[in-house]
Amino acid sequence: MNREYKEAVVELLYQLADDDLLVSYRGSEWLGLVPHIEEDVAYSSITQNTMGHAAIYYGILEELGEGKVDDLAQLRPANERKNAIILEEKNGQGHWLYEEPRYDWAFTVVRNYFYEAIKKKKIDSLKQSTYEPLVQTAIKIDTEARYHLMHWQTWFEQLIRAGGEAEERMKAAIEKVWKDIGGVLSLGPNEEKIVSAGIIESEAVLKERFLADMKEKFAELGLEFPGEPGMERGDGRAGVHTEDLEEAIATLSEVYALDPAVPW
Amino acid sequence: MAISVRDAEKVKYREFMERIEAGEKIEADDWMPDEYRQTLIKLISMHGISEIMGALPEKEWTPKAPTLYRKLAIMAKVQDEVGHGQLLLRVAEDLIKPYGKTREDLIQDLFSGKLKFHNVFHWKTKSWADAGLIGWLVDGAAIITQTNMLDASYAPYARALKRIAAEEVFHAQHGEAIAVALAKGTEQQKQMMQDALNRWWPALMMFFGPPTAETTGSSKQEITIKYKIRKNTNEDLRQFYLTKYVPRIQGIGLTIPDETLRYDEEKKEWIYRQPDWNEFLKIIRNEGPMSQERLRIRKLSYENNAWVREALGLNTAVNV
Amino acid sequence: MGEKVPFYEEFVVFSRKTPVSPCQEQFTLLAPNHEIALVMAQENFMRREKVCDIWVVKRSDIRAMTPEERKTLERVDNKDYRTTKGYGYLVRIWREIDQGMLDEKEILSWSKGRVK
Ligand SMILES: [Fe+2]
Ligand SMILES: [Fe+2]
Repeated sequence: MNREYKEAVVELLYQLADDDLLVSYRGSEWLGLVPHIEEDVAYSSITQNTMGHAAIYYGILEELGEGKVDDLAQLRPANERKNAIILEEKNGQGHWLYEEPRYDWAFTVVRNYFYEAIKKKKIDSLKQSTYEPLVQTAIKIDTEARYHLMHWQTWFEQLIRAGGEAEERMKAAIEKVWKDIGGVLSLGPNEEKIVSAGIIESEAVLKERFLADMKEKFAELGLEFPGEPGMERGDGRAGVHTEDLEEAIATLSEVYALDPAVPW
Repeated sequence: MAISVRDAEKVKYREFMERIEAGEKIEADDWMPDEYRQTLIKLISMHGISEIMGALPEKEWTPKAPTLYRKLAIMAKVQDEVGHGQLLLRVAEDLIKPYGKTREDLIQDLFSGKLKFHNVFHWKTKSWADAGLIGWLVDGAAIITQTNMLDASYAPYARALKRIAAEEVFHAQHGEAIAVALAKGTEQQKQMMQDALNRWWPALMMFFGPPTAETTGSSKQEITIKYKIRKNTNEDLRQFYLTKYVPRIQGIGLTIPDETLRYDEEKKEWIYRQPDWNEFLKIIRNEGPMSQERLRIRKLSYENNAWVREALGLNTAVNV
Repeated sequence: MGEKVPFYEEFVVFSRKTPVSPCQEQFTLLAPNHEIALVMAQENFMRREKVCDIWVVKRSDIRAMTPEERKTLERVDNKDYRTTKGYGYLVRIWREIDQGMLDEKEILSWSKGRVK
């Protein structure tokens, strides 16, 4: 593997790993507080699966000499993180944990639905990757990704079809998430290297596939299509992030950072 | 006429007692004495809601768990606890159905203070070691209580407990693994674990409730034993717990913060310092160290997303 | 006008072996309604089997998965964290201090309670 190829692989792996880590971190905050007990249980498995996917990607990075899995997941500062900004955003108003958190289920459903829809497109594309470990990973996690998408799509459709307040809240959440969903599609400043090395298809191609599905779904549900996905707050792949990410990293690494050298 | 109705009730009661004494199981739609139903409702709704509220102290450390493996494991563990709440609330909901009540009533009873959650879940957590201690020693105590009811005369409860007990094997080892890693780790880690034990020991001694009804004025233990729901008294369970866990705690180098603790070979029982039962009384009035905070966060999340339940409850036919 | 109610409705039959065992699907049968389905169920599927309860469920009330949905059921084999698998090393630690492992056998044995 020449240096340039490896750099491109590493770049994409960080994007995939950090995305899954942040989504699952936000999911882990919901545990115990979901609006319905049965859904609390179901959602947690999705969160665990997703953190499991992050662990697989960090594992490949470890094999590539990037460092220990837990160091990669927990010790990298915010400006080195490659996740999309919308995924680091807090679940809602208030703070972890006893400072009046008001987690927003509509936002959670919409963010997860769009995220999983894009993730599935990436996984399908990775099955054709020139990098074999990514092909194997894509094949392996495909069924879970499919399941996650089905889960969130069901919630998405039902809450919109419910009409009234639910539909209003969902529309507001769609508007909010759409402004930054472009960050999940983004392959970052190094897209050219990643794509020309055949590691994954281009952002434009992935976006087109994602938008085709969304247009169909929005039409089916009688929703107005919001147009071009935005990236208003910047590109997380380029290290642009918000305070929410710093807070998230501080929390998730609080214990490990006490002494990363010893077993816990 | 009134007398014959009462006699008929007596006969039914006698037959019922004969059934359960013969080891038969009762189903939700079987005839049962009112006292039996009321006892079950109180016991199982409290058990169920305690699993839900009991998720919170560990939840405090779930996103902070030190490694990805520990994060995943504790998530799976807390998820199981919420799942136990689900199983048990379903059992309780079937019992309150004849009164036209539902889960909504149970949740509202929790918020109003009418339905209590277990005394052990009112305490503060301060470090990751507390999460380990809960998984190890609080779950250990819960396993002792729950396995004691595995043969309960009420079949739906026994079925739920059977599922729960199977998962508790994982919980027991998960908790031990965290505790052992800390107790056998660096000085800092060891100290964390010892501090957690010092903090939680009184709570663990309170876990099974007071030995007699004197402390709280009432105790359901005799009734639950009479109806073959559980086998042992509070004190028996505490003694059993000490027998199982004291050697393990001391064996990994931790010091139990009770210098009076010893096993009396003659009496065949553990001598230990009584916890402050006044503190216990405060806790069961929801005035414990974290009672109000945990109720608040539960209430907030429940009300904040009430629209979700309303939306789908009103539109049960939103299936495509 | 009024839709014709078919005489042959499909019912799925479930049974429970003991009061603490889970309900198990037996098979399906045709019957005009729940009552008739129930009185035929035992002799159709449990002639040689002792059970303690039987359920009949209208098949149209069962929402089964579509073939597409069934493809979502497979899970990645990376969930040891959810089981006792990774904790086998504890055996050594407990053996050193003459304690056993809290495995299924040990924990279920606690159901006997404290025997004095
Ligand atoms: Fe539990
Ligand atoms: Fe447990």
